[in-house]
Amino acid sequence: MLFGRKQKNPIKIADKGVVEWKYAACGYCSTGCSIEVGLNTDGKPVASRGVADADVNRGKLCLKGIFEHELFDSAGRGTEPKIREQWHQPWQSTSWDTALDKTHDEILRIQEKYGRDSFAIISTGQMLTEEFYTLGKLTRGLIGTNNYDGNTTLCMASAVSGYKRSFGSDGPPGCYEDFEHTDCLIAWGSNLPEQHPIIYWRMKEAQEKKNFTLIVVDPRVTMLAQNAHMHLPITPGTDVVLMNALMHVIIDEDLQDMAYIEANTNGFDELKAEVAKYDPVTAAKICGIDEDRIRHVARIFAKSESAMQIWTMGINQSTHGSDGVVGINNLALITGNIGKPGGTSLSITGQCNAMGTREWSSCSGLPNHRYLESAEDREEIAKFWNIDPEFFPKKRGMFQTDIYHAIESGQIKGLWLIATNPLTSLPNTARIRKAMEKLEFCVVQDCYEDTESAQYAHVYLPAGTWAEKEGVMTNTERRISVVKPLATPPGQAKPDLWVFNRMAERFNKNGNVTFPEKAPDIFLEMAEISKGRLADISGMDHDLIEKQRGIQWPYTEQQLKKGELPPQGGKRLYTEDATFRYPDGKAKLIPLPFIDNNEVPNEKFPIWLNTGRLIEHWHGRTKTGKIGDNNKYSPIPFIEINPDLAHELGIQRGEYVRLVSRRSDAVVMAQPTHRVAKNMVFLPFHFFDCANRLTLGLLDPHSRQPAYKQSAVRIERMEDQQEAARLSMEMRKF
Amino acid sequence: MFKVRDNEPDYALLNDPNSKVRNRYGTPIDTISESDELYGKSLNINGDAEVGENPNRYKQHGFFFTADNCIACHACEAACSEKNDNPAHIAFRSVGFVEGGTYPDYQRLNISMACNHCDDPVCLKGCPTRAYTKFAEYGAVLQDPDICFGCGYCTWVCPYNAPQLDPVKGQVSKCNMCVDRLEVGLKPACVSACLGKALDFGVIENIPEGREQARTEIPGFPTTDITHPNIRFQQTRTLQRDMVRVDSTALKYHRDDNEDKFKPVVDPKYGNKREWNLRKLRSREDPLVLFTLISQMVVGAFLLLFLGPMIGLEHLAPTAHSTTYTALLFGLLGIETYALYTSTMHLGKPQYFYRAFYNLRYSPVSREVASLAVFYNLLGLYTLLITFPFVLTDWIGLSTSFVDTIIHLTGWAAVIAGPVSLFFMHSIYRIKARPFWNHWQVLTSFYGNMLALGGLLVGYIYSCVLVIEGLETAAMINVLAWAILSGLLIEAYGLWRHAVDMKKQGGEGAASHYVQQTKFGKTYRARNIGLAISIVLSAGLFIGLPQAEIAMTVITLLAIVMLMTALVGRALFYVLVTPTTMPGAFFWHNKGFEEHARETGLADMPQVGVVPDSH
Repeated sequence: MLFGRKQKNPIKIADKGVVEWKYAACGYCSTGCSIEVGLNTDGKPVASRGVADADVNRGKLCLKGIFEHELFDSAGRGTEPKIREQWHQPWQSTSWDTALDKTHDEILRIQEKYGRDSFAIISTGQMLTEEFYTLGKLTRGLIGTNNYDGNTTLCMASAVSGYKRSFGSDGPPGCYEDFEHTDCLIAWGSNLPEQHPIIYWRMKEAQEKKNFTLIVVDPRVTMLAQNAHMHLPITPGTDVVLMNALMHVIIDEDLQDMAYIEANTNGFDELKAEVAKYDPVTAAKICGIDEDRIRHVARIFAKSESAMQIWTMGINQSTHGSDGVVGINNLALITGNIGKPGGTSLSITGQCNAMGTREWSSCSGLPNHRYLESAEDREEIAKFWNIDPEFFPKKRGMFQTDIYHAIESGQIKGLWLIATNPLTSLPNTARIRKAMEKLEFCVVQDCYEDTESAQYAHVYLPAGTWAEKEGVMTNTERRISVVKPLATPPGQAKPDLWVFNRMAERFNKNGNVTFPEKAPDIFLEMAEISKGRLADISGMDHDLIEKQRGIQWPYTEQQLKKGELPPQGGKRLYTEDATFRYPDGKAKLIPLPFIDNNEVPNEKFPIWLNTGRLIEHWHGRTKTGKIGDNNKYSPIPFIEINPDLAHELGIQRGEYVRLVSRRSDAVVMAQPTHRVAKNMVFLPFHFFDCANRLTLGLLDPHSRQPAYKQSAVRIERMEDQQEAARLSMEMRKF
Repeated sequence: MFKVRDNEPDYALLNDPNSKVRNRYGTPIDTISESDELYGKSLNINGDAEVGENPNRYKQHGFFFTADNCIACHACEAACSEKNDNPAHIAFRSVGFVEGGTYPDYQRLNISMACNHCDDPVCLKGCPTRAYTKFAEYGAVLQDPDICFGCGYCTWVCPYNAPQLDPVKGQVSKCNMCVDRLEVGLKPACVSACLGKALDFGVIENIPEGREQARTEIPGFPTTDITHPNIRFQQTRTLQRDMVRVDSTALKYHRDDNEDKFKPVVDPKYGNKREWNLRKLRSREDPLVLFTLISQMVVGAFLLLFLGPMIGLEHLAPTAHSTTYTALLFGLLGIETYALYTSTMHLGKPQYFYRAFYNLRYSPVSREVASLAVFYNLLGLYTLLITFPFVLTDWIGLSTSFVDTIIHLTGWAAVIAGPVSLFFMHSIYRIKARPFWNHWQVLTSFYGNMLALGGLLVGYIYSCVLVIEGLETAAMINVLAWAILSGLLIEAYGLWRHAVDMKKQGGEGAASHYVQQTKFGKTYRARNIGLAISIVLSAGLFIGLPQAEIAMTVITLLAIVMLMTALVGRALFYVLVTPTTMPGAFFWHNKGFEEHARETGLADMPQVGVVPDSH
């Protein structure tokens, strides 16, 4: 054996000089991982690691979390408020007071001139819950516009809508621990290994122990599909047909759990009548899954001791998004797979705090799943906030998608964008751009000043990011985790909560409404109005949440008083009979007729455009596009294209191509792979001025979520590759 | 010592209660015995004198990779880069993939690969500076970037792309097995970060719980013969017959049913169109193109100058045209100095050039540099002595005949040292992990160029002189043409056999040949035609041309054609090589994309992970 030199230098291994590890929940996806960020002697964040005793991630992190400490000083951070008269003028630096006064005055001006609802506010799933709650209070209680929504409409709206329709309330009933108990898992349009790597790891751990049947429904051969027992490569947008067919077989073969159905549901007969129309032979022709497979899957699912379903954007981002969620819930309900270990319908959420917006932002109603439509709810909150209940609208206003259509057609004149970037994230960029140009006043509040939407802003407010702030977030399994500040925002940037409170001061001159300054105090206020509700958090506070590495709701004051500590995990909803949130405690089985309104490929636009996420990127790439160890795995936009199609079109690996839809075009690099069918391309949506130039984004009738995943395009070869490369590079700054 | 948390999860803890005695290559797994003087010493990590208490400290460790499970989540790479504080363009561990099948019967096999801490570390042997050490502790092969002077030779010899040459820092660094974590009983950072239950680590040949195989083959992984790598695989799922690389390398891995393993074969992914791509002949190795050609020419020219008079070329005698002779000698010295300078500046840290001599025992680079240094010094000495013999005779008072003997001996020594140094120069390229180079053709090319370019240089200059002086050139040209012609023929024969062998051999060599015939197809053809023209012209000169004017024209033409052919040929030699390295991904570790990023300017953004070209 060789040992090399005799006189050795000391071995040098990088030592970042971490002297202190500080706790924070991850600010990327909804998995809800606990992170420890290492600070060096200068107090600078230099390292990240997973918290070993956190039940969610048990010491693990994905590649985004591992480099999350690099966010703080990444390029493009905003450091000072800016102002300008017209969006096409250069920015001028300004003071916070000037910027906030200007914003306040413009909101009032627009509301006075065009009506209260002519100013819209769009937030995000990126902020902390206390910030949502404060913004909700400010918007609903003081500004009073009803056109207030979050970008969760692009992501989770269908899940929310589907849960509400089926169970009478939002709130995913399951938890990650269900993987350890289940006998059968169907993943509908969910690519866990890429979208939620830590949840995938939890699933994989469980699967290696129990080897439950894994069935993946996805038009693309994702890693999850490839690793599944069965992969059903479904025709885009036809999930509801497959669900109906599965139910057809289950009911036809009498495999349903009648006792559960009778004790817990209404509407079985109507459902039965509807699914009767979807025999596997008929359904196979629509959804592209052969009749034998449909029968086989239905039998396995129904006969499993416990069976669970998860889904993500493959279901939600569709014109049948809400119906798809209801279909999943229907399947779960007729087989008695809700509220039991390993039996659930678990929506795998998107953003880190999408759940927090759902619960507390008041976007779709009032705090803690209260409805504007309910006089009782309005009364209760108005009293609690000390405002006139009549100030509340009696029906929720527009969703983000509709707000943009209203800007386009001139009903909405002013916009406050908070931590979201519609110019990248909304479908049909051309339409969005035109709408943005029309705004009389737009204020963008974001931690990045190079967010593309700021192009059309009149005021820019620099915000803090992630662990520069304090507050809680709720994850996919309803677990509330806390973020503590471990860095200060750069320059004059301020935490969003500070911005909301300063703005509130301007709208609350008589001081009728109280706005606590500190997140822990706001949390206690929220806890107060959560008492007795589904999402009861009255037993929690920031310190307990950190100590427990996150607590799943509900955890009540009574439990706390009894000395009952919150469990590590495994908390489920609807575990008792007839505890659903409809007045009679029963869930609804809703029949789902299928209308094919997708933009189906035709002769002119013969290819399905499927959009989706990559593991290395986060949404609009404002974060990950600047972190080399994330971005380098896909630094420019590309499509997955079937090699046979590429061959026919004369496209070589690594060449740029032009995608053309009925909306516009996009230049992308071609990666030939048999991951996609010959009549489909997959295009990651992260890149500015790319995927959403093409998408149609028809809206789901219930959730108003856009159908990002089903559009039709044609592909054109680009003769001048150098020009194409230049164009592709010019279109985005990072 | 690395700080262990009280609640470190089980998956991060090393767990090897038992181990085997010998590995599959027959090497003992115990690296040393308790009585060895290396036993019980501190690893001295960052100057920490403590000794780790890992009970398996003196056992060879290695990674275990369940290829079926890898999801290409990059967590291992991220954890590694985070721990080692690497910039985006450097990765001690990388995930690439191969794929096969037809939708939806499609499979992608992801491969996460770092250093395999081989039993026979070719990096260690190849490194001229002895920056590498295989430690008794864990059998870790560690490299010291402070010693490294950035020649990049280890990156050539390693079949797994483990050593990472950082053009910014001008040095190599690589996976350190996280020995700091091993010392305290923790698995490496990458393993602890794995989200697919794919990557594991322990004493080599131990099969982790829940796994049953310990293979050494998966598609894309080079043969273990080269280095005896310490990595084991599980890969049970039936793969497609063809698993294709998605990077720009024209390779796929084809299942050989008889041997139950996948072998690299050419994947003509860019069709069969012949192109020029002259610009793409430029590479980081440009200085080596000049260095090797010049050195070969200088050695050849000196051989002819020194030996010429002995075989009847009286014009070449030092006294025949003494000014030309000395001028030519100084010229040779000058261009060789330039050659050495340019190859030294090609190092990441040229100021440490002297470290090139540190590994004469194993490294062909050290041997080449040393032998070339000997030749260069002898050439210098010979030049000085023959130009200024009076220094020894008149000033020191040595006898003329004694000085003549010294000059003669110096000359003979240089005549031996020159070809020897070219032999070592050739050994540098006989790398198993680079089949396109690992062929005797390198030697015929180097010696062929020595004769041809040396003959050309001497012939051209002396012809000019003779013509100016109005003397007869035919006799001299005839002999020198013989040297040129034989050099060209040796080179041509080598190239022909090389092409045939590469094609026959398949794998990476054939992939290089495929690129040679397509991407550089026209260039390659032009080079071959250039060679053929050179042969015809020099044969013409050999047969004898009546008039001096015609001869001069032919020689000038020959010089132009030969120099261009030699430059293009040598540039092709460097750009064409396809290493037996791990498959890349579509962007990351894809040479094609890196090239594209540099050409278009994408590489100017550091977060693209490609460093812009410095030349």
